[in-house]
Amino acid sequence: MANKHNVLTLAMLALTAMLVVPALAQEKTPNDPRLFTPGKLTVSTSEPSYPPWVLDNNPEAGEGFEAALVYALAAELGFKKEDVVWVDVTFDGAIAPGPKAYDFSIQQISVTPDRAKVATFSDVYYQSDKAVIALPASTVASAKTFADLKAAKWGVAVGTTDFDYVTNVLGIADAAVYDDQAGVFQALQGGQIDATIAALPTALYATCCQVPEAKITALLPKDPKDEGLGLLFAYENPIVSWINEGLAGIKAKGTVDELVRKYLVADPNIPVIAE
Amino acid sequence: MTRRPGKGRRQIALKDRLAPVLISLVSVVVVFGLIAWFVGTAPQWPRIQLQFFSIDAMLEAAPGVAKGFLVSLQIWLISLVAIGIWALILAIFRAMGGPWFAPLRVFAILYVDLFRGLPALLLVLLFGFGIPALNLPGLPKEGLFWGGIALVLSYSAYATEVYRSGIEAVHEGQSMAAKALGLSQWQTLRYAILPQALRNVVPAMLNLVVALQKDVALLSVLGVRDAVREAQIYTARTFNYSSLVVAAILFLLATIPLARLTDHLQRKDRQRRLQGAL
Repeated sequence: MANKHNVLTLAMLALTAMLVVPALAQEKTPNDPRLFTPGKLTVSTSEPSYPPWVLDNNPEAGEGFEAALVYALAAELGFKKEDVVWVDVTFDGAIAPGPKAYDFSIQQISVTPDRAKVATFSDVYYQSDKAVIALPASTVASAKTFADLKAAKWGVAVGTTDFDYVTNVLGIADAAVYDDQAGVFQALQGGQIDATIAALPTALYATCCQVPEAKITALLPKDPKDEGLGLLFAYENPIVSWINEGLAGIKAKGTVDELVRKYLVADPNIPVIAE
Repeated sequence: MTRRPGKGRRQIALKDRLAPVLISLVSVVVVFGLIAWFVGTAPQWPRIQLQFFSIDAMLEAAPGVAKGFLVSLQIWLISLVAIGIWALILAIFRAMGGPWFAPLRVFAILYVDLFRGLPALLLVLLFGFGIPALNLPGLPKEGLFWGGIALVLSYSAYATEVYRSGIEAVHEGQSMAAKALGLSQWQTLRYAILPQALRNVVPAMLNLVVALQKDVALLSVLGVRDAVREAQIYTARTFNYSSLVVAAILFLLATIPLARLTDHLQRKDRQRRLQGAL
């Protein structure tokens, strides 16, 4: 009788162990139950997304800095290439409170202390210089100081730290603020604004392919309040620490630097305006 | 011995008056209380509260949003005047009888068909980005200017129809009487029809006035920093939406008195007309 009881207890224990231990053991593996879909890494980016961050608006191809970074990160964390699932989300959707239908969003979102109060970011994966974009005929093209820059009419896209840069670092109070970068470039071409700024890689693509008549006229120093680009998670998402380990891993292997060299290089001959 | 019918009636009247008030009070408290309780039990509620209704964030965002709201108000008032005049001209075109005025009537009809059929946002984008991109010398380039033009063109189409309904609501006998007095077509319109028509359309027009105030926010796509755009700027900087609530409050502060004014005007007009009839 007692024997039978022991057997039953043992069986129960074994069953519990089978159910519980693997669940714990699965944390920080591709089957981590805390993932949006265990077994998959669900990543959101904007639609459309632009080079050099994502080439051809097709993140699945893994070409472009952010797309390649996500696949490198996924491999580091143990996911297979086909286990990375992409979903579209706008910037507004990514920053809205509430649970998210993905693990994290990657769309050149800058980490700032204010934002970090209500959203959870990964470690920074890239910090970019800011570049001034203007038409060659404009006075901005020959600007040497911040004071020269201040005289121009500026436009930026809402939701970017470009706005903060123009307002706080350059001290421009009346910059026009557009829905997106496309609106800014439209206004630049129409002569409604003289200049805009953007992260250097965005500026490189814009001046080569979106607004070829414009050019990068200067580089500006980094804004100390802008910590760089990070992955954006739903507030207090517990997988951040694991993702950060992965990011640290690919940084240590030199993968991130390699991707920067591949996708985000700048012409070293652009003048710098520092004051 | 003497019957005092007054007293009993008054008591019933008091009871009759109190009961509905109590019932509405209780039902309001119960219904909104239940909704509030339900929202409050949502697991995400504390986060929503922090990101949408944070007093600190509202105070921080208020100066910027208020500055943007002044921009909205300016655009609104200037467009209102332009719409009021342009739509009236179109409505008069439409109301002109006689074969010689056919081109004006056709123009007014086509105008309304075209601009009422197109989304205001589309017009704002076409005018605000399209015309400056033509680089025509002598034309202004500001998004504010062309966006304002687009709003005026769009809203005038609606306002024309409101004016027209007012004009058509004036009884035919009025224009016949004016004609009998020897008034010309223009004089009939000016002295007999329009004064009555304009009074008829005040409430409907105020509807458009309120709608326009909110649609001014469309100009933000052209880089204009109105109240909504200023609120978005704050949201983008801090990921906190309380600034949008500030903008909402400002809009309500402007439109609710307007709604009460509409009610008041309507009541006064009705009373005046009824007195005339009695």
